[in-house]
Amino acid sequence: MSEASPSSAAVSVAPVRFSPQRVWTLAYATMTQLMRMKILPFLLLFCVLVAAMGFGFSVINPEQQLSQFKTMSLGVLQIFSIVFGIVSTALLLPKDLEDRTLYTILSKPVPRFDYVLGKLLGVLMLIASGLVIIDAVLSLILWVQQSMLFDAAVAQLHTEKQDTPEVVAQMREIVARQGLTWNLHWAVWAIFLKAAVVTTVALLLSCIASSTLFTIVITFCITIIGHGHAMIREFVLQPNLSGTSLRIVSFLLAAICPDLAQFDVVDSVANGEIVPWGAVYEMTGIAALYLTVYLFVTHVVFVEKEL
Amino acid sequence: MSATPAVSVNHLTKVFKGHIGKGAFRAVHDVSFTVEAGEVYGLIGPNGSGKSTTMKVILGLLNATAGDTRIFGIPSTEVASRRSVGFLPENPYFYKHLNGRETLHFYGKLCGMSGEHLKSRAEEMLALTGLEDAATRRVGGYSKGMLQRLGLAQALIHEPQLLVLDEPTAGVDPSGSRIIRDLIIEFRTRGITVLVTSHLLEQMQEVCDRVGIMAHGRMVREGRLDELIAVANHTEMVPENAAPALLAKIDALVQAEGGGTRLLRSGHPRTTLERLFLEATHEPKKP
Amino acid sequence: MKRKLQAAAVLLVFGVLKLPLEQRVTHDLRTMRLVDEPLHLGVKGNMGQIGLAAAFGGLRGLIATIFQLRAHVEFTRVNWAQVDKYYGFVTQLQPRNARYWEEASWHMAYNAASYYLYNQELKPGLRGQLFHDYVKRGSDILNEGLQLLPDNPRLWQKLGDLHWNRSKDFKAAGDAYWNSFQHGGLNFTERFAAYAYAQSNDPASWTKGYAILKKLYNEKKATPGLIEFLKMLEQNLHIPADQRISDAAPVRKTPDPQAGPQR
Repeated sequence: MSEASPSSAAVSVAPVRFSPQRVWTLAYATMTQLMRMKILPFLLLFCVLVAAMGFGFSVINPEQQLSQFKTMSLGVLQIFSIVFGIVSTALLLPKDLEDRTLYTILSKPVPRFDYVLGKLLGVLMLIASGLVIIDAVLSLILWVQQSMLFDAAVAQLHTEKQDTPEVVAQMREIVARQGLTWNLHWAVWAIFLKAAVVTTVALLLSCIASSTLFTIVITFCITIIGHGHAMIREFVLQPNLSGTSLRIVSFLLAAICPDLAQFDVVDSVANGEIVPWGAVYEMTGIAALYLTVYLFVTHVVFVEKEL
Repeated sequence: MSATPAVSVNHLTKVFKGHIGKGAFRAVHDVSFTVEAGEVYGLIGPNGSGKSTTMKVILGLLNATAGDTRIFGIPSTEVASRRSVGFLPENPYFYKHLNGRETLHFYGKLCGMSGEHLKSRAEEMLALTGLEDAATRRVGGYSKGMLQRLGLAQALIHEPQLLVLDEPTAGVDPSGSRIIRDLIIEFRTRGITVLVTSHLLEQMQEVCDRVGIMAHGRMVREGRLDELIAVANHTEMVPENAAPALLAKIDALVQAEGGGTRLLRSGHPRTTLERLFLEATHEPKKP
Repeated sequence: MKRKLQAAAVLLVFGVLKLPLEQRVTHDLRTMRLVDEPLHLGVKGNMGQIGLAAAFGGLRGLIATIFQLRAHVEFTRVNWAQVDKYYGFVTQLQPRNARYWEEASWHMAYNAASYYLYNQELKPGLRGQLFHDYVKRGSDILNEGLQLLPDNPRLWQKLGDLHWNRSKDFKAAGDAYWNSFQHGGLNFTERFAAYAYAQSNDPASWTKGYAILKKLYNEKKATPGLIEFLKMLEQNLHIPADQRISDAAPVRKTPDPQAGPQR
């Protein structure tokens, strides 16, 4: 241990700047902390369930089976990512505060912004990792299924003597549109963007409130309101409706809550719609805007939070 | 002594705002004190006296309602003031999923350390605190004493010039307590300033140069320890292997002096329970 | 407290500024057919709490699939009213999914209609009535879907099939097949439109059918069925001999022309 001379007690006053390494350290620790909460086994279980769902339903035709499989698996994936984002974020800050881990961290030269950003990134990294794994599993299952179903459908048409080139071509087009395409990955990206926005809202609320339950409940309420945002917004913009107090309340809700329906492309992708680059840019851009502003507000609140 | 004190607290007041139905609570009221660089300063007082609150304000974890606190001249509200501070909270808790070594690496990286410097420093701290054998064990399996020592190690990882220890021996057994006490004395000899809070007075008496006594949020006494606790008009002598005849002569001399001088008591001095415990637990085992 | 007020102010200002941006992004995504219109609860039946979850939970597709599975269960129990009800929910939740409109129509116009037609427990008059009612229901479903998806060739084709196979309204079948072809349907829909027109009782439709079949004949795409119907239309429309095709009409294996064209 080095000796510190009393005469050299004065220290430099260079400000502590934002440090990517510090943020990464906090993010990585958060991610491993959450992973040790047995998240990965749940993920694997989910993958198995998804795979089973793919072959579990009685079918009318290949298009229906592929579409059903995508709808169910992407829908469940959406629920999983939102629930995980909210619950894990709501637990993080109160746990650090209760365990006094927060004291040992913030007594180091760690700006509070680095801390909140590190926590947020840790949760997002884990959600992203889970989504990448499940996207890979979904893609594999779809690829296998679409080949199997196409072959079975053509064999059936042959049996019924209806396997004209046109009908076979139509069947191939239907199966290809419902099968594995790039649009599936954009749907998973949209799920991630929505989960990221919801997670940031949860982080903001956990900085304001000390109660985990309160954070979870309010974030879920905001998530629900966020999905009906378009309805609320259109109500607010209607010029002829009366009820000032109702409009004020609706306006406040629309102003505070993010519009999460903007990321609801999952159903369209499951129906075979194409996601153009313009849509990807718009969704990503607005998600980045939400994240930036909510993170800024989180920082403003957390800077003066009494620990 | 350096011109810049390690810690300066000036007319600090901290009021916690009340919730609905409850009034505000004044935890600290107009407290001022200074910790000079290189000394061990003890902040003592009963539970609820405002010690921990004062400490948290110094560390920037709480904001002062009035007054200010500085570390080596830098306001506590600035993050830069924490570069030179190592903090051990009361009942420290660390991420359970990390082992001892990973914990030190984690805190070292937060302080901007990296690479071989961090690795070697972490090994040094593990050796200093006697945790080398437990370095690869998850912190979740550590005993109270081990957690306390790990806490010290993380507080020292970035070579701070000021150590703030909040109840460092709370809940620790006597041998662990002794280790911590010895470490504090060693820190002093190496020029590290130590600000320690405790309500275990005997331990504080052994390590502190200066103490401040707080009660009900106020500083009630402050000064050098030996000046504060010395009973000015009493003198203590402890001869070893003295014959009864010698003791009788000393008694007679005191009586002959007169003028208010008197022998208050004589007898065999008592060892402390702590010393007895240590001697008993470190006895070699009988074959 | 000051910081909390600052935070609230930032949120509100951002909230006001983001409303038009959100409106624009939503409009763009709806134009790209990626995001649905808001669900209008209470307009059609009562989906209850599930409908609410669908509306506000962003899980319309998932809920629609669940309703579709329920419909399938009711189908196996031949409970046609429930099948219709559940598919009503499904198409309300996923109005731009053509497959759901097609399936709903198929259940009504084919499965339900046939069930009642062959149900010996009912009087013959009632069986016929129910048959027609359910065929009409199937046709109504497709027409409703086509109001939302007017350029979907598959729905037009299915409507044509329904009119041809079930309601025997060949003029309507011809119009439907023709619309399918116009919106990018498969090539056979052009031929089927002409065949349907040929079998209708409307001279204007015969003229349309004749024009289509003659065009295809001239493009060397004649099939035996095409020649058969072309010759029939030449006769019905009193086409002058020098303008008629030289091919002989194929020998029919079945006497009933409405058994469908030879392929």
